[in-house]
Amino acid sequence: MEIKGRGVVKGCAAGEALVADATLSFWGEIDAVTGKIIAVGHPLEGESLRDRVLVIRSTKGSSGTPMMLNLAQLEGNAPVAFVNAEVDGLAALGCIVNQIPMMTDLERDPFTSITTGDHVEVDADRGVLRVARKEKSNRD
Amino acid sequence: MELNEEQRGILEGSRGPYLAKCMRWLVEWGEVMGAERLIGVDNTHALLPVPNQMARGASAETIEKYMEDLREACAHKTAPSCYCTLHVAFVTFDEVDVAENEPEALRMQKELADMGAEAGFIPTFTCAPYLVGNVPLIGEICAWTESSAVVYANTILGARTTRHGTESAIAASLLGWVPEFGVLLDENRKGSLRIEVTAELDHPTDWGALGYFAGKLAGLGIPVFNGARRPSQDEAKQLCAALATSGGVTMAHVVGATPEAPTLEAAFQGEVPETSELFDEEKLRATYASLQNYTGDEIDTVILGCPHASIREIAEIAALLKGQKVSQSVRLWINAARGTKGNAEAMGYAQTIAEAGGFILCDTCPTNMRIPAKRIVTHGFKQAHYARGMSDAEVIIAKTEPCIEAAITGKWSGNE
Repeated sequence: MEIKGRGVVKGCAAGEALVADATLSFWGEIDAVTGKIIAVGHPLEGESLRDRVLVIRSTKGSSGTPMMLNLAQLEGNAPVAFVNAEVDGLAALGCIVNQIPMMTDLERDPFTSITTGDHVEVDADRGVLRVARKEKSNRD
Repeated sequence: MELNEEQRGILEGSRGPYLAKCMRWLVEWGEVMGAERLIGVDNTHALLPVPNQMARGASAETIEKYMEDLREACAHKTAPSCYCTLHVAFVTFDEVDVAENEPEALRMQKELADMGAEAGFIPTFTCAPYLVGNVPLIGEICAWTESSAVVYANTILGARTTRHGTESAIAASLLGWVPEFGVLLDENRKGSLRIEVTAELDHPTDWGALGYFAGKLAGLGIPVFNGARRPSQDEAKQLCAALATSGGVTMAHVVGATPEAPTLEAAFQGEVPETSELFDEEKLRATYASLQNYTGDEIDTVILGCPHASIREIAEIAALLKGQKVSQSVRLWINAARGTKGNAEAMGYAQTIAEAGGFILCDTCPTNMRIPAKRIVTHGFKQAHYARGMSDAEVIIAKTEPCIEAAITGKWSGNE
C-alpha cells in the first residue's frame, strides 16, 4: 500500500512500524541506552524505538527531546523515521540535527492504515510511504 | 527562507564549520516550521548538560562524542546583543552524597560550566531562570529550553519563545538569530481551546492540576483559562510546568493575567469559541487522583521545588519546619537555584531547613536522578509525572503543607 504525505525533514529510511495515537516526550519517557519507552501507562510502554518507524500523534513535553534523540542515535537506539500526525517543533529539530526523515499530513489516517509490526518505507524526499502488512504469525 | 548576505556567508562557512552547522540547523528548522526569515534574539536559556545522567550506561564513545560537540560550542562566544543563561546541570556542585555525583560526571560538568561561563553563558543552572534575574520584557524574542520556562515566558511575561532544544538554543546564543515561526508571530498567539475555571484554586499545586488537566486536552494548542483569578508567581510556575508536561503547550492565556489577554476576546483575537471545557471541583480532585499510584502510607522521600523553588516557597517551608525534625527514614530535598539558596542563607531559612534535616539541592533536578526511593511525595505535577517513569518509586502528589507533614512523620496522612 502506498500513502502520500508531506516530507517535513528530507531523507529515506525503512523499518518496522511502532504505532500509537499518542504523544511522547523523549526526555523522561524514553531510555536512550535501552531504547525503550519507559512512561508508565503509555500505550507503547516497554516497546523499543530502535530502528522503528515511529508513528505517533506528536512529541510533547520536554525541550530535552532533540538531545535525547541525539543520545539514542549515538547509542544506536533511535527510530529510523518519524511519521507524526502533528509536527512538534522539537521533534522536527531533533530530526534535522540527527538527520532522521520525518513525514506528516498523510492522505489517510496513519493510526488505522499502519499497524505496529508493518514494514514501512519512508521516502520523505518524494512524500511517499510504502506499507507492507506484517505476516500473520509475526508478533501476534 | 530569505537570508541576508551575512547569514548566507555564515551558512557557507565564513565564520568556521561549527557556526555553519549552527546556521544550517536554524535555517532547516525555520524552513520546516514555515519561517520566512531569521530575526534577532534578545535572550536565550541554553542547556549544557553532561550526557552521563541522561543516558546512564551509555558507551564511552557516545559520551565523548556528545561532550566534543558541547566543547566545540563553548569555544565560541555568545552574541553580544543577547542575554544568555544556563539551564540546570545534571549534577550538583555541592558536596553531597547522591549517586549522580560520580567523580567523572562532576568533572565533566565542571569543565562545561567553566567553558560555558568563558563563552558568555550566565551560570544560573536553573529550570526557572525568571526567579534569578532572567526576566525578558514584553515582546522580547527569546530562545529558551526548558518547556515549563517557555510557557512561563510566553504566558506570564509576554515574551516570545518557541520551545527550543539544546542545539537550537546554542545556535541562537552564538549567532544571535532565531527562525521566525510559531508564537513569535502575533497570529500564532491566538487561543485554541477555552477552559472555564470554576474550581477554587487555593494553592500552587491546584494550579498545577489545572495545567495538567489542560495540557492533555490542548496538545500542541494554546489553552485559554477564563474565570480564574490572577495567579501568584508560584502558582503561575506550577501551571506552566504542568501544561508542558501533559501536553506540548508553548503558551496559554490566563484571562486578566497574561499581558496580551486582558479579556477573553483578546485571548482569542476576537474569535471566541462558543464551546468550552469545564474545570470544576470534581475535575480538580480527579486530576490529583489521576497521578496518585501509592499502595501504602510509609514514605521515604519528599521532593519540593519542581520547578525550582522561589524564596517565598522556601520561606513557607522553613516556617513549617521550624522546631521540627524530618523523620530519620525520610530524605527531604528542596530544589532551588544557587542564587535563591544564597538569599535563603542570608535570611536564615536555609539554616532552619538544615537544622530540621532538610536539604536545599542546587544546580540540578531530581527528576533526572536515580532516586533510591520507594514512595515519593511532591507538590509538583511535573515531578510526579516524570518520577513515575524514571524511578521505580510510587508517587504521591499533594500541597506543600501535607508534604512537610509527611516528611516529619514519615507517613502519608491521605490529605492532599
